[in-house]
Amino acid sequence: MPDSPPAVAPAIEARGVSKAFPGVVANAGVDLRVKKGEVHAILGENGAGKSTLASILAGLYRPDEGEVRVNGEPAHFGSPRDALARGVGMVYQHFRLVERFTVAENVVLGDPHQPLLLSTRRAEKTVAELGEKYGLPVNPRARVEDLSVGEEQRVEIVKMLYRGADVLILDEPTAVLTPQEAENLFETVNAMAAEGKSVIFISHKLSEVLAVSQHVTVMRDGHVVARAETASSDRRSLARAMVGRDVDLSVQRAEEAPGEPLLVLEGLNVAGEGDTVPLRDVSLEVRAGEVVGVAGVSGNGQRSLAEVAAGMRTPTSGRVVVRGVDTTGKGPTAARRAGLAYVPEDRLGTGLAPSLSISENLLLTHPRPFFLKRKQMEATAREAIKQFEIRAPGPDAATRGLSGGNAQKALLARELSDGPEVIVVASPTRGLDVGATQAVREILDRRRRAGCAILLISEDLDEVRSLSDRILVLYEGRIVHETSGEEANVEDLGLAMAGSSEH
Amino acid sequence: MNDAVWVLTLAAAVSAGTPLVFAAVGEILAEKSGVLNLGVEGMMLLGAVTAFLAAAASGSPLVGLLAGTLAGGGLAVVHAFLSVTMRANQIVSGLALVIFGTGLATFLGNPIEGDPLKPGIVDLRIPILADIPVVGRILFDQDPLVYASWLVVALAAFYMTRTRTGLALRACGESPETADAMGLSVARLRYVHVIVGGLLAGAGGAYQILARVPSWSGAGTTAGIGWIALALVVFAAWRPWRALLGAYLFGAALAANFALQAAGVDAIPAEFLSMLPYLLTILVLVILSASSARKRLGAPAALGVPYAREER
Amino acid sequence: MQVHLERRLETRTGHRALVTVLSIVAALLLGAIFLSLTGASPLVVYTEMFRAAFLSFYGITDSLAVAIPLILTGLAAAVAFRMQLYNIGAEGQLYVGAIFGSWAALALAPGLPKPLAILLVIAFGALGGALWVLPPALARAWLGTSEIITTLLLNFVALYLMRYLIFGSASFLRDSTTTNFPQGKPFPEEAFLPVLGLTRVHLGLAVALLAAVLLWVLLGRTRFGYDVRVVGDSPGAARYAGISVRRTIVVVMLISGALAGLAGAGEVAGTSHALDPSGLAVNFGYTGIIVAALARSNPLGVVVVAVLLGGLQNAGSALQSIPGGGGVPVEVSFMLQGAILLCALAGELFVRYRLRLRRGLPDELTEGARP
Repeated sequence: MPDSPPAVAPAIEARGVSKAFPGVVANAGVDLRVKKGEVHAILGENGAGKSTLASILAGLYRPDEGEVRVNGEPAHFGSPRDALARGVGMVYQHFRLVERFTVAENVVLGDPHQPLLLSTRRAEKTVAELGEKYGLPVNPRARVEDLSVGEEQRVEIVKMLYRGADVLILDEPTAVLTPQEAENLFETVNAMAAEGKSVIFISHKLSEVLAVSQHVTVMRDGHVVARAETASSDRRSLARAMVGRDVDLSVQRAEEAPGEPLLVLEGLNVAGEGDTVPLRDVSLEVRAGEVVGVAGVSGNGQRSLAEVAAGMRTPTSGRVVVRGVDTTGKGPTAARRAGLAYVPEDRLGTGLAPSLSISENLLLTHPRPFFLKRKQMEATAREAIKQFEIRAPGPDAATRGLSGGNAQKALLARELSDGPEVIVVASPTRGLDVGATQAVREILDRRRRAGCAILLISEDLDEVRSLSDRILVLYEGRIVHETSGEEANVEDLGLAMAGSSEH
Repeated sequence: MNDAVWVLTLAAAVSAGTPLVFAAVGEILAEKSGVLNLGVEGMMLLGAVTAFLAAAASGSPLVGLLAGTLAGGGLAVVHAFLSVTMRANQIVSGLALVIFGTGLATFLGNPIEGDPLKPGIVDLRIPILADIPVVGRILFDQDPLVYASWLVVALAAFYMTRTRTGLALRACGESPETADAMGLSVARLRYVHVIVGGLLAGAGGAYQILARVPSWSGAGTTAGIGWIALALVVFAAWRPWRALLGAYLFGAALAANFALQAAGVDAIPAEFLSMLPYLLTILVLVILSASSARKRLGAPAALGVPYAREER
Repeated sequence: MQVHLERRLETRTGHRALVTVLSIVAALLLGAIFLSLTGASPLVVYTEMFRAAFLSFYGITDSLAVAIPLILTGLAAAVAFRMQLYNIGAEGQLYVGAIFGSWAALALAPGLPKPLAILLVIAFGALGGALWVLPPALARAWLGTSEIITTLLLNFVALYLMRYLIFGSASFLRDSTTTNFPQGKPFPEEAFLPVLGLTRVHLGLAVALLAAVLLWVLLGRTRFGYDVRVVGDSPGAARYAGISVRRTIVVVMLISGALAGLAGAGEVAGTSHALDPSGLAVNFGYTGIIVAALARSNPLGVVVVAVLLGGLQNAGSALQSIPGGGGVPVEVSFMLQGAILLCALAGELFVRYRLRLRRGLPDELTEGARP
């Protein structure tokens, strides 16, 4: 190559990195340069290839083409071990922590400097020091399974700092945090950059990127589509680069007076089961033509709430009434017969049976004749594929192979097909790209206008705010805050989500 | 010797439980790495027949033990290859291992069926300790492999909880993604521990033929104790010391035949006494799953799940 | 060079067949190693086995006769596999089916019209097998007790029960007329399954084939089969759809046990005409697991594989009496069956994944080499 390396080599650099998975090209000739002491954001919607790029930088995946350089030196990472040895550490979106271990045990795991006989004393001390220095308080002796999501994230960061990471990759770090926790994270990130560390901050949220980074690289469909200094770039052009067109995610809501209450939950108490959180004295009602949004940090009883409403779980006390019919604990089929549809958060595995085909899955929650009518099932599936614009090889394709958006559309196609008047949806757009998100939100809004009562349970505060007429906040199995959609104030919601509301 | 019958029975229980100790500790190590190896019975049988052949050929039970141990490990390599490298269904692979191991062992053992084994293992009475009343007879008047099994238990327990590799092992079974992200090789950890598990199962099988049964009798040589060892792992909540205790409990059931006959009880037909250890094991499993209902005590979270990094 | 696995987006039937054939070849090679170790000539042994199993009329019919219980135990394993259940207690369920069938043959059949007598024997066989699997099924469904170990351990209990009835006691099923070696009481003629000419192929073959077809329809074409697949694929989705996971588990296990019980009743009524513990304890149940795994739980595939493995087993026992067999014991067929299953498992990978070879340098990408 003719160009000589610059005076100060980038802390980490990707040159023409490509990576393909069966059926998708996740990265195509990606270039990235991150300077020492800089917070560098990678902006892109879901599926743009950000996580793949991060995994390549962290040594988890090998690039098909191109190379990674650290401080100007080529780095052929065979595994995360190699990357860590060169000072590159990553905090994954789904944390890599051993739940049953203590914080200190997690920190020393895989540390080559650890003596053969385990000793966590030094680690405990270092964890405390690092916590102090970067504002990451964690108790090194606590078991990870007892920590909150925010604390787990701190453990992840401390773990990488302990291992001497100079380049820290944070993959969608705010997805699981309350707004206040996100603020704290930004401070930590800035503190690390001030210490000369480089932080790669991956996000699909424009406002965060603008708040925290000095530099931004925008990705779309596996390509880098824009690069800019954050300070000098404008919001609109970044958004357009990210999505490829102008986009407005807010749904235009026509004001209509809500009608009769169609879904009524009364004084529900639900015991925790396995790792689900119990519900305590939850009452709410959803009226015809109304969306009630339930916000909250993940793991605060959302699943119990959705399942008890959908009849999948029996409360220890309280009632569930669907269109005047008491369906409490009568099973999902009874709730459905009363006119309720449930779109669970867990699309593959609950909403859809992954190895069954689309046409078979469309039958899952409907009455089935003893002898299956294959022809008819196939015709129904073709119709749904057309109507909901599901991109799939055909009606016989296993739902396992569908993208998140297409799986969600298949799920909605089935659940909405017999005109339910009550819809319970959980995190309906999690992991979907902008196009699919918009499609799903529009489908829900159309139903609302047609007079459906919709209970929306979501950890995405923006989603709850943009869709709901009323917003409730769930914290440790209780409803701790209620506000109308217009009055909703992010700060109050965030405080309630963190459990520190006025009461 | 005029020890009471119950003392002799307990001593027999210790000896009968010893193959279980080896096999169960081996399986604990394999399962802690996240690999379920149902092939214990096959590895034990192959270990037993190999031990017999090697001991008979060399005239040395020690050579027999080593050969049996290696044979068990060799079969475990197959399981490690299928379940780690080939990502096969671990249950089916384990079953295949039992069927193949049993077939191969009975095939190799066909010519020696019924032959008595000349050089068996001799008891090693530990001076002083063996003179302790009752306890001495039960615990310290046994063969050297019984003592060796205690060492194996102690080492395994120490290794799992106190060493760097032990921590890596547990992480690998709890969350292989984490182990991988922290720079550990999941495949290597799993291979090593599955193979060590196989070596110990082979040693258990070797012990069975060298010290327990009078001759090779095909699949009847181990008669399902490999499966009991698997149940024992659950019973022990994946802890070696508890496995030792459990092994002696099941050993007592295995030795009950002997005890009741010695006590002159013949009201219970021999066949029903022979059913006892199996029924006891089933009962224990059912009770355990009923009581520990939702909490899988000690079971590694990723047990039985193949790990592949680059799949999405 | 580095080997790299890539998931295939779809699997092809041709691929599967090829991999199965290659697995059998690999298993034979593996078996050859052990045969040579014992001093036998693998080539001679294999030729003799093939001749014994498939090259003469009686060879073929004997192989078919062995295939009858294997089809049934194979189906028993397959129906459970479909739901990710592992009933490996077909061996014991077969014994208990044989015990129940024998009781029906001796106690109920005498004097009855033949079709009714046979029907009773078969029905009792199925009942016995189903009853034997009931406790593990209930424990699995309500307490989550792994059915693998419980069903397996019950095999030993059933074995001792059968031995007790013939060797250990003066039971109703034991022949009281002989005093030397204890054996089962001979069945009355009414309970004999009709045989095909002078061969050993009995009516059980028709029953087994019927069972295979019925199961194929049930699993592939009905609501029940659909529910089974949903529960097996993801219990979460089943719960969501309101399918009772517990009931489905119990029903599938009962069907599985009944099929294995049928195999036992078929053996006593079609072959030994008495309860014969040593004749029954020849691993039909365990081999059924191999049959189901090789057939990938497809009921019709089970029939094909059972005939193949039946031939292998038949050849194994024929080998001992054949001069060219070189004193190779019957166990050779069990070893080979196990080896085939192991090789097939390894081969499964090539069905699901594509192997790609590439060089160590990341910037040089070689085209995927297909196996």
